[in-house]
Amino acid sequence: MSRRTRRVVINGIGILVALFFAFPVYWMVNTAFKSPDQFQTYTPVFIPIPTLDNFIKALGQQNLPLLVRNSVFVSASTVLLSLVVGFLAAVTLARVKFRGRGWFLLLVAVAQMAPFEALLIPIFLEIRNGLPGPLSILPVGYNQVPTLILIYFIFTLPFTIWSLRGFVAGIPVDLEEAAMVDGASHFQAFMKVTLPLLAPGLVATSIFCFITAWNEYLYAYTFMSDTTNYTLPVWLVSFQTNFGTDWGATMAASTLFTLPVLIFFLVVQRRMVGGLTTGAVRG
Amino acid sequence: MTRAQPKAKTPTSASSLSVAPSRYRTRTTVVRDLWPYVAVAPAFLTFVLLLGIPVVMLFLTSAQHFGLFELFNNVTTYVGLDNYYNLIFKSPAGLPDFPTVLLRTIVFMVVNVALTITLGTLVALLLAKLDRWVRLVLTSAMVLAWAMPVVTGAVLFQWLFDSKLGVVNWAISSLGIFGDYLNHSWFATGLTTFAVITLLIVWQAIPFVALSLYAGILSIPKELPEAARVDGASERQIFSNITLPAIRPLLLMLIFLSVIWDFKVFTQVYAMRMGGPDNQTITLSLYSQQLGINQHQFGVAAAAAVIMMLLLLFVLVPYIRRMIKTQEEL
Repeated sequence: MSRRTRRVVINGIGILVALFFAFPVYWMVNTAFKSPDQFQTYTPVFIPIPTLDNFIKALGQQNLPLLVRNSVFVSASTVLLSLVVGFLAAVTLARVKFRGRGWFLLLVAVAQMAPFEALLIPIFLEIRNGLPGPLSILPVGYNQVPTLILIYFIFTLPFTIWSLRGFVAGIPVDLEEAAMVDGASHFQAFMKVTLPLLAPGLVATSIFCFITAWNEYLYAYTFMSDTTNYTLPVWLVSFQTNFGTDWGATMAASTLFTLPVLIFFLVVQRRMVGGLTTGAVRG
Repeated sequence: MTRAQPKAKTPTSASSLSVAPSRYRTRTTVVRDLWPYVAVAPAFLTFVLLLGIPVVMLFLTSAQHFGLFELFNNVTTYVGLDNYYNLIFKSPAGLPDFPTVLLRTIVFMVVNVALTITLGTLVALLLAKLDRWVRLVLTSAMVLAWAMPVVTGAVLFQWLFDSKLGVVNWAISSLGIFGDYLNHSWFATGLTTFAVITLLIVWQAIPFVALSLYAGILSIPKELPEAARVDGASERQIFSNITLPAIRPLLLMLIFLSVIWDFKVFTQVYAMRMGGPDNQTITLSLYSQQLGINQHQFGVAAAAAVIMMLLLLFVLVPYIRRMIKTQEEL
């Protein structure tokens, strides 16, 4: 095989593999824009005459605005809570050598890998009983939306600490010290020098937390019994079960649900590679 | 940057690593010693309250007779290892027996991990050989699959594999090699349902594995394979003597992660067919959920979850060890 044909063959395989990954996504969007007579055919229509009917139908679902609000509220609160608590711990872990630091780091690593699928039963029992003592005034319990914030908070906190710690450690302390030599207080040096440099790390970590909370299914499905308390993933699965034959509307709903994740994901994709395996190559 | 860091560990600059330089020491000794603990306290408390307590509760519940009566009346009845005995030797009503589910979960996990890692490695090697623009196309396509929410993936794959109108049945039938697949029902048997679930999982997992490994391959100095090629080494020899040893630590981490993820997977399996047809795709995490949440046998469900957790430890312990080790080097 000549060098030229070899290149053509290799690139051809590359395109085929790309098709394998992209096709399902294309098919979702494609179906979302089809009228029923275009998707209810044995011979599929590859380039549809687009219609927005499915989107109108999906968006017209009862309670949908409420569910969007639930999802946004839960995800945004998770990000906020995780970021505040995680940031404090991350900066301390990265910058201060204190007794027990190694143990705390180990705790974070263990927590990050906690199998929450196995903890469903005890968490369910605790939530059913409500929080103990003075904490019982919090709106946390079975079928109460804020419960999910607490659960997603513990899902995302370990990663938040782990990831932010890495970002802080990547910023040389020398920069802060230079600012302090120029007369800045320690606090000023941190706020004016380190924090701006940390912005991309904060954005990436927030997005990761947001996506985790936005996509979560098992706990939302187990704890939210009223349809008005569902988050979007629970709604999407039940939508598909209830509208089993209306694939146009189902795919429109799927597309709408996926869109924010996709946009956010593209922002942080480069940072996600290696996030979980950092240093393994050099090791 | 990273290369320069070990230098900082020499005694002369050690103080620069700490936020509290020595000149503060005389003034605010107590505060200096306390504030790191104050800063990590919220996180620490969160771990204890939201993670530590559930773990302890899980083990305690698995040793209790715990049904609806106990839940509503707040009674605690310890029964030792009865739940484990019942779980392993008696099959619960309406669900398959535990050994079947455990074996099924392990086989399912092994198949998924093997496919993910093998295909992921092949795609990584392919990426390294592609022309720039094709590589960009392939990377973008993979990011699409990777970014898709799991729930969307499960709904979408049911549409792709729909018996009447699904595009997959149409494509297989048009190929003509496997005969007529129109109206073929993928979700009629456990095995073919698992096949669709596996395809979904592997489709979404390959991008992460392939892109991580590709990053690893890029970090190999170009001179190594070039020198080997000049010396007459074949591509296969270059792979097994240069590429593979270089990416082995990374590969190991990816295998660990895949084993953990695929062993405890819930959403893809449940959202596809809720364990059906006829409970044939119930895996371990679904089993515990069904026993507990649906059948209110919380004690037995907890026992199943404990077994799942203990089995996961075999992979979690070495994974976390490596994770800590690589972080400390940074």
